[in-house]
Amino acid sequence: MTPSTLTSRRSFLKMASATTFALSATGGVSILAGSATAEIIESVNVGAWVTLHADDHITIRFASAEMGQGVSTALPMILAEELDADWSQVRSEQVDKGPLDTFGNPKINGIMYTAGSTSVEGYFERLRHAGAQVRRVLIHSVAAHWNVPVEEITTEPSTLVHGGSNRNMSFGEAATTLTLITDVPEVTTEELKSPSNWRIIGTDVDRLDIPAKTRGETEYSIDVRVPGMLYAAQLNAPVEGETPIEISDDDAKAVAGVVQIIPLTNSVNVLAETFEAALLARDLLDVTWSEDSAFRPANSETELATLKAAVEDRGRDAIVWETKGDATSSLSDADAKTIASVYTTEQLYHAQMEPLNATASVDEDGKGAEVWIGTQSQTVSIGVAAGVLQTTPDKIRIHAMQMGGAFGRRTVFARELLRDALLLSKISQRPVKLMWTREDDVKNGWFRPASAHQLSASIDQDGNVTGYHHRLASPSVLQFALPQIWEKSNGRDLLVMEGAQAQDYDCPNLTAEHIITERQSKIAAWRGIGWGPICYARECFIDELAAAAGSDPAGFRRKLLAKSSRGSAVLEKVLEMSDYGNAPEGRAHGLSFAGYKGTRGAGVAEISLDPDTSEVRFHKFWAAVDPGIAIHPRNVQAQVEGGVIFGLSGLHRERIAIVDGQVDQNNFYDYEVLRANQVPEIFVEIIQSGAAPSGVGEIGVPMTGGAVANALFALTGSRPHNMPFNAHL
Amino acid sequence: MVKLNVNGTDIEVEADADAPLLWVLREHLGLTGTKFGCGVGSCGACTVHIDGEAMFSCQTYASDVEDAEITTIEGLPDNGDHPLQKAWIAEQAPQCGYCQSGQIMRAAALLSQNPDPSREEIVEEMSTNLCRCGTYPRIIRAVERAAKEV
Repeated sequence: MTPSTLTSRRSFLKMASATTFALSATGGVSILAGSATAEIIESVNVGAWVTLHADDHITIRFASAEMGQGVSTALPMILAEELDADWSQVRSEQVDKGPLDTFGNPKINGIMYTAGSTSVEGYFERLRHAGAQVRRVLIHSVAAHWNVPVEEITTEPSTLVHGGSNRNMSFGEAATTLTLITDVPEVTTEELKSPSNWRIIGTDVDRLDIPAKTRGETEYSIDVRVPGMLYAAQLNAPVEGETPIEISDDDAKAVAGVVQIIPLTNSVNVLAETFEAALLARDLLDVTWSEDSAFRPANSETELATLKAAVEDRGRDAIVWETKGDATSSLSDADAKTIASVYTTEQLYHAQMEPLNATASVDEDGKGAEVWIGTQSQTVSIGVAAGVLQTTPDKIRIHAMQMGGAFGRRTVFARELLRDALLLSKISQRPVKLMWTREDDVKNGWFRPASAHQLSASIDQDGNVTGYHHRLASPSVLQFALPQIWEKSNGRDLLVMEGAQAQDYDCPNLTAEHIITERQSKIAAWRGIGWGPICYARECFIDELAAAAGSDPAGFRRKLLAKSSRGSAVLEKVLEMSDYGNAPEGRAHGLSFAGYKGTRGAGVAEISLDPDTSEVRFHKFWAAVDPGIAIHPRNVQAQVEGGVIFGLSGLHRERIAIVDGQVDQNNFYDYEVLRANQVPEIFVEIIQSGAAPSGVGEIGVPMTGGAVANALFALTGSRPHNMPFNAHL
Repeated sequence: MVKLNVNGTDIEVEADADAPLLWVLREHLGLTGTKFGCGVGSCGACTVHIDGEAMFSCQTYASDVEDAEITTIEGLPDNGDHPLQKAWIAEQAPQCGYCQSGQIMRAAALLSQNPDPSREEIVEEMSTNLCRCGTYPRIIRAVERAAKEV
């Protein structure tokens, strides 16, 4: 607890009727002056996170951003548990803006930034304390009102109870009719509920956001319509960084409804009264570009060859990510068997279903704006907007909308889309909705970078791994996407390298290192971040080591995981679930142990080959996952299913190729994501080890590459050393 | 000016005859439950019913459907209480939710033409629509559940 969170949780606000109720611009808890005392109080904002309403419904805020992962339910569940709320009365509301010492995620440098499956992990303790503190305020207040000792008050869901006098009062009534005693002692961690008393955490409540999503009522940023707004279609530079030199726009301007053609540094923008007019006019633009980009020679095939050469060149400098013992000596031990192998991965596109877009309405004085954006970071988006308008963050009124998928693409994209929407609004002096088409979204993507992995290991006569060396070459995602953090990171790129430490495996002598290459395109984190490529390469290699040691994939991993009880548990569970190794005729199983940060996971794929096309067919996939504590088990299951499908899609036919600095793919017809008739039956088992809760949004991804590659080996005797496996078929 | 019948109501819209129905529905009429995903008929996010058939509204000119009955997610019979919507909730299908209007509209057209589809028929039909969150297993189960209840 930081002092400032204590302050904000001690600041309580009582307000008059709902019409005057609003979270202040800072997201906090200033008392609204002039609350008419004679009015009936309909809702009370107790602390920063909770509003209690006279009709007994409860609004619980969450500060992560909902992109489909279920934080709009899971985070309020945590607070509701300690508040002892009646869950059926809970509604949730996303925080757009507010003090970061209250709302920032401690796992992401204390800002509002939803990535890396860190929401539950980051906010768990804070939300428990916040809920408990509100409950304590209500208990103290009702005790004073009934004139009984505080210790005699208990709670039932959303109800204060005094057993001795057989009295009770709902939370809503208490909050809106009593004088709230806010100066109560801080709830200590020891005073929080014991997990055995939980009645909300660990239950399969319905997600709060689902009914609206079945009725088409959920509002995404692409759905925003602002009075007087213009639509913008953007013709982007064909190659990164190029600028428009000459623009012939007579034909475009002649299209009915076109209002203005605005060149920006790297784009030409058509503003029109309708989006169809803007698109039509965009096609009629004739633009000469500077053709001077340093990225003109960029080519994916060359890049892959360069990456491969880099890991094989022992003279290349590398940043050490993790080192234990002495891997170098172990690997040169003449008595040990030494094995080495190289794996590569190609670039991938996020393909979130909602093409990127942003809407901005810049104030007349140009020094403030209202913006609508589906963003993984409210804080970054506000910062970008303030920077563009050279103003202060308080002048940015942001609506952080439900995202139509994100998967890492919407972390810092405000830097481009929101920037341009603001500039266009400022220049045109109208609100502007800037929408990318799917082709724009593909051609201007920020991709998971290509990577090469050289793995070397030594095995002693007993089949123990005595030395392990993972050399990874790729451009740095952190350097490109988050330069301010990169500057302070000493060259350590957690968005590429995290996972290479092989944390659960018993390897006393281990080195993992990163050869940072020049980027050939814009790059970003992609669901599973570095764990996806790393676990693919490592788990293939582990099977190779097992064979070299004369062991089998399951037995060899058992031995490597012997010192990790959580790792062993998910391994044993998935072996049991899948009846590993006993695939039906014509099919094969492949095994992979692959965690994601604090979450442990293991997967088994059952596949066959299409006799006509030689493509992999996915029949079944079993996943065992231990997120410590599953806040919302049914959603954990859904996230793992989604993650597995995302991973399988990424290893199958998805592939971005850069040719002469331009993205070769266009749309879903040539960037092929998995469809319903290609997905396997998926079986998920959750193990709750009771460790601190950790994320589940990405754990499904890293286990897929190794499991499928190892199954391919079992089926064909040949293991794919480049992912995706079927994009070149 | 285009004359349309949308969700049982005759409407005159200030739109060009060659405007894609998708943009007319979403941006002119504010029926934003129908989504833009690809613009080329590859993802199904824009699926609506044209005379009861599931169609890509991004591939349909507004002027071509002036004599047709257009139904969007907002006009789905018993909206909010349709067996498919109830099944979608029971199976907790949506994640980001963006594709789900199109999925439900495709499933609704399937069930109206084939009230008792086999699992294979459901999977094949639903493969027209993409879901990037990977909710396919739940979508298939939800269609099966709704088919039993219809």
